[in-house]
Amino acid sequence: MLGDATNWDEDAYRESLYKEREVQTRTVFRTAWAPSLSGCPESIVVASSDGSIASYSIASCISKLHSGYGNTKSLLAAEPHCFLQGHDGPAYDVKFFDAGDNTLLLSCGDDGHIRGWRWNECTDIEVPIYLQGSHIEPVMDLMNLQYKGPWGALSPIPENNAIATNTQSGSIFSAAGDSCAYCWDLESGKIKMVFKGHSDYLHCIVARNTVNQIITGSEDGTARIWDCKTGKCIQLIDPAKDNKKQKGNFSCVRCIALDASESWLACADGRSFSVWNLPASDFISRTLTRSSMQDMVFCDNQILGVGAEPLLTRFDIHGSILSEIQCAPQSAFSVAVHPSGVAAVGGYGGLVDVISQFGSHLCTFFCQYR
Amino acid sequence: MDEEIEEGMLIEDETEPPPQESETGKISPYEMLRESKSSVEEIVTKMLSIKKHGEPKTQLRELVTQMFLHFVTLRQANRSILLEEDRVKAETERAKAPVDFTTLQLNNLMYEKSHYVKAIKACKDFKSKYPDIELVSEDEFFRDAPEDIKNSIRSKDSAHNLMLQRLDYELFQRKELCKRRDELEQHKKSLLEVIANRKKFLSSLPSHLKSLKKASLPVQNQLGMLQTKKLKQHQLAELLPPPLYVIYSQFLAQKEAFGENIELEIVGSVKDAQAFARHQANKDAGASTNVESSKLEDDAPDEDDDGQRRRKRPKKIPAKVNIEHAGIYQVHPLKIILHIYDNETCEPKSMKLLSLKFECLSKLNIICVGIEGSHEGPENNILCNLFPDDTGLELPHQSAKLVVRETLSFSDKRTSRPYKWAQHLAGIDFLPELPPLVSAQESASGETVRSDIVSGLSMYRQQNRIQTVVQRLRSRKKAQLALVEQLDSLEKLKWPVLTCDNVPWASHKPSCSLQGWSLVGYATSQESSLNIMEKEKVRDPLDVDMLGKSGISREDIDGAREDGELPALVSSTSILDNAQPTPLRTPNLEHSKQLTLISKSITPQTNYSRMLSFSKHDEDYELMLDVDSDQDEPMQTELAADDVASIPSNDITRKTWMDYGSKEYCLVMTRNTDSPAKNLKLQAKIKISMEYPLRPPFFTLNLYTINSEENRDESDDSDWYNELRAMEAEVNLHILNMLPLDQENYILSHQICCLEMLFNYCINEASRSSERKKSSFVIDVGLCKPVSGSIHARSFRGRDRRKMISWKDIECAPGYPC
Repeated sequence: MLGDATNWDEDAYRESLYKEREVQTRTVFRTAWAPSLSGCPESIVVASSDGSIASYSIASCISKLHSGYGNTKSLLAAEPHCFLQGHDGPAYDVKFFDAGDNTLLLSCGDDGHIRGWRWNECTDIEVPIYLQGSHIEPVMDLMNLQYKGPWGALSPIPENNAIATNTQSGSIFSAAGDSCAYCWDLESGKIKMVFKGHSDYLHCIVARNTVNQIITGSEDGTARIWDCKTGKCIQLIDPAKDNKKQKGNFSCVRCIALDASESWLACADGRSFSVWNLPASDFISRTLTRSSMQDMVFCDNQILGVGAEPLLTRFDIHGSILSEIQCAPQSAFSVAVHPSGVAAVGGYGGLVDVISQFGSHLCTFFCQYR
Repeated sequence: MDEEIEEGMLIEDETEPPPQESETGKISPYEMLRESKSSVEEIVTKMLSIKKHGEPKTQLRELVTQMFLHFVTLRQANRSILLEEDRVKAETERAKAPVDFTTLQLNNLMYEKSHYVKAIKACKDFKSKYPDIELVSEDEFFRDAPEDIKNSIRSKDSAHNLMLQRLDYELFQRKELCKRRDELEQHKKSLLEVIANRKKFLSSLPSHLKSLKKASLPVQNQLGMLQTKKLKQHQLAELLPPPLYVIYSQFLAQKEAFGENIELEIVGSVKDAQAFARHQANKDAGASTNVESSKLEDDAPDEDDDGQRRRKRPKKIPAKVNIEHAGIYQVHPLKIILHIYDNETCEPKSMKLLSLKFECLSKLNIICVGIEGSHEGPENNILCNLFPDDTGLELPHQSAKLVVRETLSFSDKRTSRPYKWAQHLAGIDFLPELPPLVSAQESASGETVRSDIVSGLSMYRQQNRIQTVVQRLRSRKKAQLALVEQLDSLEKLKWPVLTCDNVPWASHKPSCSLQGWSLVGYATSQESSLNIMEKEKVRDPLDVDMLGKSGISREDIDGAREDGELPALVSSTSILDNAQPTPLRTPNLEHSKQLTLISKSITPQTNYSRMLSFSKHDEDYELMLDVDSDQDEPMQTELAADDVASIPSNDITRKTWMDYGSKEYCLVMTRNTDSPAKNLKLQAKIKISMEYPLRPPFFTLNLYTINSEENRDESDDSDWYNELRAMEAEVNLHILNMLPLDQENYILSHQICCLEMLFNYCINEASRSSERKKSSFVIDVGLCKPVSGSIHARSFRGRDRRKMISWKDIECAPGYPC
């Protein structure tokens, strides 16, 4: 409650103002749908710039949204079901490592850690929400190495910008800030393979498990396909190559997406994205976008993309726009599609917008917790 | 027959007592009777037997004579018995008379005896009067009584004599006392006379003193002792309505107890105030007539003796009319003026910061505050939002809202407004809502009321309301002065100069040029309490704006959209509005015009009635005005569409009070880069709210590239979006935590300097990275093994390609690694 002349606490008021602003500047870096038995979208896991990983129940968000219409808050301040203070810096990615009953929730962040929690421990939580944070110990904690420079100076810990998984071989692939991708063994917690070759830090990584390959996108403007057995780069995709005519526009590969059959690849660089057919190694199309794409995902034969504008754009495989849906975050960093077709867009402002398969907004909430 | 009778008689005779004189020589008549009877019986038996045997009747003759003889003796015996009886009777009669006489004598004697006994008892029961008389004790009597009483002998019985003596003594004493009482009465009467004389003298004294006081006034003014003025103020204070009195007394107490650097003054005429109070009392008593009130006014003691008041007297009549007809805005004739001085300067005469005028709208029972002598618009009114959510546009409490009902406008014309903090200062929260005289009359219920007030006042003091408000006012005024200073310097397009040197941007030398600084507008409530009609109009320009910035015309987008979701979204709101019945539109427009002026309090009421009739279509309206509704929710999809459409507008409504009185400025800084030759323009929209510096200015950044040859601005927003947001976060939030508290009033300057430094840094980095690209330096990141033998420190990091900024020695904000 705000103060008045009868009980004025200036510091508390200032604190609340700053807190409000902090919430506004928070960014959701990744949203992931939790595996559900019913096949309906039940809960969503959100990794945000304050290093927190929190799961929200869609059903309760929707119900609160409806009952809370007369409220003064225009946006729903959602309370998470489970809250983990996962990382010291921003948390960049969350993934579910599906291993039967023993599903793991993996996250990586700016502090160079990859941590894993047992998902059923998170769902069966009994602790009240205000006590949560570090109440569940991660079952797994992998950390990137620091480099020693001249005279033994330690470099900053490289961050992990994205992770990918291979459940069959039990490995986790991470796109690290030291321009290398790593393959971690889940059992031993050791690095199995280092993929070295990019000249700037990695933004994104996807695993192509059918042929045991990974694909990485980097700040240096290229994407590479690697063979996991040998650790060698099989193919260098340089979207900017054909585009040299563009006047000196430096761009990086900020996101890549692979379809379910693992044969189509979408790769965004700067203000355009290109589609490749992997089996044929063919360049299919190139599409210019108004803003730089920050996350893409395949949904059936279509590509959903979000960028630095408040729109969720649906492209077909040739890159023509099928639809644009207004979404809440002004700059979206993440789009996640549930098998049922429900999409979640997360981005600047700590906002998560859940959009149904028909394009209507199921609920929009911001992660206010802490 | 005969025989039978005889027989019966005989039987009777036999039962008679036997003769007692049987032993005596003479045969008793009874025996004679018995003998004759038996002989008769014998003869009868003989006669019977003769008759039976049939013997000759001669014998019978003999027998009959015998029998007659016997009968004669029988009769003789009978007569002698009767005679005897008579004799006994007469004897008894003779004996009875003496017996009767003695009985009578006995009774007489008994009666006499009881009479004497009664008389004795009555004598014994007789009570004397003397036990009721309180007498002095015997010892005392012997000690004190005069000799002649002691020696007098009235009776032979010594005890009785003593008693008589004591009674005499008592009588003597009482007579003495009566005499004394008479004397004292006399004395009292004479004293009363003296007192009356002296009173007469006293009543004539005030007029003397008054003339003396009048004579002393010039001397007082000369010597600077404003005793009279102070007295007058106190006298005026007594006429203040309770809320103003609380303000006055509490401020005075604060000033005297803590040496607060403030001055208080009550202005207004005593006459008017008295008339007002009387009028109020009369009206409540239900007997208010013009004649009476004017008479009362004449009765008012003539205590106004300085010329100023006298000059005001002709105004009296209109003032009275005001009282009658001013309606709900009726202002109490007395007002308090509060001067607040700077408390930090050590000079004896410190600078005056503010003068506030408190007035009381007695009908509404609210306190209004304005800045004395200022007629600036509400946007410049620095009293608003002194505390959160206090624009002063709405009435502070419910009862007032009920009284007003419709036509309230604390419009821009009024310079004094009912801020909530003013009500808190006046203690309206615990004062009873009654005019002063009435509450004074009701002494019965007055006790509880008084105790309420006492506890309320102690709470008031505990909460330090006066101190809090004065502190806030001072800091607000100082901040505003500092702000004006900063704005002036920016107006002249000079970079602000910072006096604090332990923040990195203070020592930074600006290399951008400050190209523009302009006031964009006021974000007043007029704009924010949008009506529905304008909502979409506002939205659309926004859209155009956004698209325009990204350099793609609207037509292109529409083409690309086909029949996708977004157009449907935008049109859905307009469809909703169009679907509203047309009669709604016109009243709506009028209403909304009013609504912008009228306080929010009224909105729900007017809106509610409409809501009942057009509940479905008013869905949007409802959202905007934040009315609680229990209406059925429409279909989910429709809702979802509404939801997004209403997000921005709803947001605005929610923040109305925060925006109230805030100003928006536009700052433009440009920077030329050599490679590639570009002219970058950073535009910052700065919203400075009334709560500055508590709520720091809010920056919204846009970046443009100016192509020198085409001279056309091109938005670079989407490329730079994340960098701009990071800069915003840094300027709006993170650097605030690093600022020392004494620099608070100069937050704006700090923010601008910091922004310039960040902008500079960003551009340098950008040009460096593009350079790098061009010259095809292959460099590795971090300190990992170089691919081509050169070491380069990273400048970007993370998925949002954040610049790695670290402030030396200062802890970073969470989420931003150092």
